[in-house]
Amino acid sequence: MAIVKMNRFSLFVFESDKENLLHELQKFNYVHFLDLKENTDYVEMGLENAKVPENIVRLNEEITKVKYGLEKLSKYDTRATGLKAMKEGKEVLEFTELEERAENFNYQPIYEKLKEIGSSLDAIKSEKEKLNSTMNELRPWAGLDVAVSELGSTKQCITLMGTIPRNTRDSMEKELLESQYTYYEVIGEEKGYIYILVISAKEEADQVMEILRNHSFTETRLGIGDIPNKEMDVILNRISELKEEESNCEKQLTELGKYLPNLELLYDYYMNNKLRIASSENFLMAGNVNIIEGYVPADMINEFTDIVKKNLNNVYFMEIKEADKEDEEVPILLKNSTFSKPYESLTTMYALPKYNEIDPTPLFTPFYIFFFGMMIADMGYGLLLALGTGIALKTFNLSKEQRKNMLFYFYGSIATIFWGAIYGSFFGGIIPLPALIDVAVEYNRLLIISIAFGILHIFIALGIHAYLNIRDGKILDALYDVGFWYMALIGAILLLLTTTGILYGGIKNVAAVIMAIGMIGIVLTGGRSSESIGGKIGGGLYSLYGISSYVGDFVSYSRLMALGLSGAFIASAINMMAKMLFDMGIFGIIGGIVVFAVGHSFNVFLSVLSGYVHSIRLTYVEFFGKFYEGGGKAFKLLQSKPKYTNLKE
Amino acid sequence: MSFSEFFMNYSGVAFGAIGAALAVILSGFGSARGVGMVGEAASGLMVEEPEKFGKSLVLQLLPGTQGLYGFVIGLLALGQLSADMSLAHGFYILISCLPVAFIGWRSAIAQGRVAVSGIMLLAKNEAQSTKGIIYAVMVETYALLSFVISLILLNSVSF
Repeated sequence: MAIVKMNRFSLFVFESDKENLLHELQKFNYVHFLDLKENTDYVEMGLENAKVPENIVRLNEEITKVKYGLEKLSKYDTRATGLKAMKEGKEVLEFTELEERAENFNYQPIYEKLKEIGSSLDAIKSEKEKLNSTMNELRPWAGLDVAVSELGSTKQCITLMGTIPRNTRDSMEKELLESQYTYYEVIGEEKGYIYILVISAKEEADQVMEILRNHSFTETRLGIGDIPNKEMDVILNRISELKEEESNCEKQLTELGKYLPNLELLYDYYMNNKLRIASSENFLMAGNVNIIEGYVPADMINEFTDIVKKNLNNVYFMEIKEADKEDEEVPILLKNSTFSKPYESLTTMYALPKYNEIDPTPLFTPFYIFFFGMMIADMGYGLLLALGTGIALKTFNLSKEQRKNMLFYFYGSIATIFWGAIYGSFFGGIIPLPALIDVAVEYNRLLIISIAFGILHIFIALGIHAYLNIRDGKILDALYDVGFWYMALIGAILLLLTTTGILYGGIKNVAAVIMAIGMIGIVLTGGRSSESIGGKIGGGLYSLYGISSYVGDFVSYSRLMALGLSGAFIASAINMMAKMLFDMGIFGIIGGIVVFAVGHSFNVFLSVLSGYVHSIRLTYVEFFGKFYEGGGKAFKLLQSKPKYTNLKE
Repeated sequence: MSFSEFFMNYSGVAFGAIGAALAVILSGFGSARGVGMVGEAASGLMVEEPEKFGKSLVLQLLPGTQGLYGFVIGLLALGQLSADMSLAHGFYILISCLPVAFIGWRSAIAQGRVAVSGIMLLAKNEAQSTKGIIYAVMVETYALLSFVISLILLNSVSF
């Protein structure tokens, strides 16, 4: 329930034993290597960088090949899709099982076949494109009933084929009529151009050319010999042949689609290999000996030493000691109960704790869930969410990450149902329920409740700060930084309550004294880290000024009420519209159902998103701000997270 | 009946209607701008990586809520309109609608900008794109507060 205790090891291993040892350690998984290249002491001692095996280049090539196959075959997946696929999920394997199956699969012949099919598909595609463009060129000439090769110029006459814009046709025809030895024919028309054939005697040629030029004539040279129609038939035949070849190729690909699961295994396997090989970049070498340093969780250290012993037959040197608390290099691994585990992702997103800090996950989790529910606060929405995530958890084969995500919202949905019951809200009020707090009327009360939760939240955060100080033996710091603040804040709140008449006025003086002691304490101790007297006084006063930020923090919790209110009112507006439609006959009822379904789904999405984000904000800014620093490094496992399979722990 | 008497007696509903209209118009205007901006950025992304559609859609929808807030306020204001309402009542409705109208308008555009950077983040580093969504939702806090104030104003005084 906290940060996992670590042991630090230093290990000297002969180069020849390294591969094997790494392989065994990868099965074990829980080893974090330190990058010794960053350790300047060692580098100055003249230790060299470890050799990275040449086979990493070959491995990268293999990975590229597998990726190529995955890309080509992804469309021909023969496995179930949609809901059924979600239900089945990814295959769960032992690490050794993954290795065994991947090694037994011979990809090379399949790769070559894929490559062949791929290149023939490319060739088919480019030929088809070329033929289609020729087709487009020929189509307007379809009316020509002479072979193109017979149309060449002779001694006596010239032959011209080409296009002119349609709007110049009349004037051109008029001018051509004046010529005597010229034949002229319109073959076709397309896209604002007419396609013409002109045969003219040589003595008139210049004159005719002049006329044509004046009418923006563009000469066309067809790259064929036969009658256009015949040529087009040939092309069409070829295209249908190509189509057949194409579908042939696709059939072959469909058949190869059955290897897709193997390819996916291979991919995960190679990625793990790559991680293993690349991990030796962290080591340094002295002659033939690898120097390896890193961390192993303290409760697994025996297993770790066993593996090392068994693999190296006593030809090694190893030293193990407890990790230094203050060392920032110690990698962080979090361990939490199933209840708060899903919320570790929020801690990670902010920053992992340092090794001497505390894992805040179990501390903020109950509040996070509570706030999440309060912001959505609708029984209907909560039930929907609980049902959706519950079914997924029960029936689907989910990966660890997916499970955590589902649990994240499942717990949240229970709080949502709870708050929905308090607000008496079911899909924005379609079923009238008794409300403990009626949001539409009692928003003032709700605002006060929200801020009261905020005060509790912040006081607990301050309490954790005090606990950390006391744990580290800094009892006075706990008094200065937390005790005085407690007094100042509690005094101020009590004073406010007595002056507004909510509390008995007699304790007013007591409250004022508590507040005063707290404030004086803050002024006296707030600047204690300063060297000079002036700095101490200035720092103390500045610390007291920090009370204004507490006001801001408390007010920030008004979002608890605001989000609940906005969600409820948007929901009731949707119901209002649906009801208006419902009163308008059969089409109105259909429309009403659509408005209801779409509107509420949108509102659920919006509410959940807001609940997720704004609860994060309250956690990160208001709660973490009081005690949490973070900045630890993540523990890097030796197995890479598989993309297509789930590995057993 | 003099003009001022007529004005006092019958213009309330007009002011109330202006309020309802402003709440919908201004916040809708802002949301349309915001959603539009993000949509443009996101469609650029779809060329290369269509599989990021889902996440980009979430980012695009974010500046859309202001229009929704304005719409709900408009609808509630509409429910209070009646032909013979007093000038004071009409004017009160108009003022009640202004927070969500103006804040909805400007905050939707501001949120749209943050969401556009969120799209850039999504393009470069998908693993971090949740953070882009969080940044964008933060802007919405102020639209939310103005919505709640408009809501409370509309409900708190009965004429």
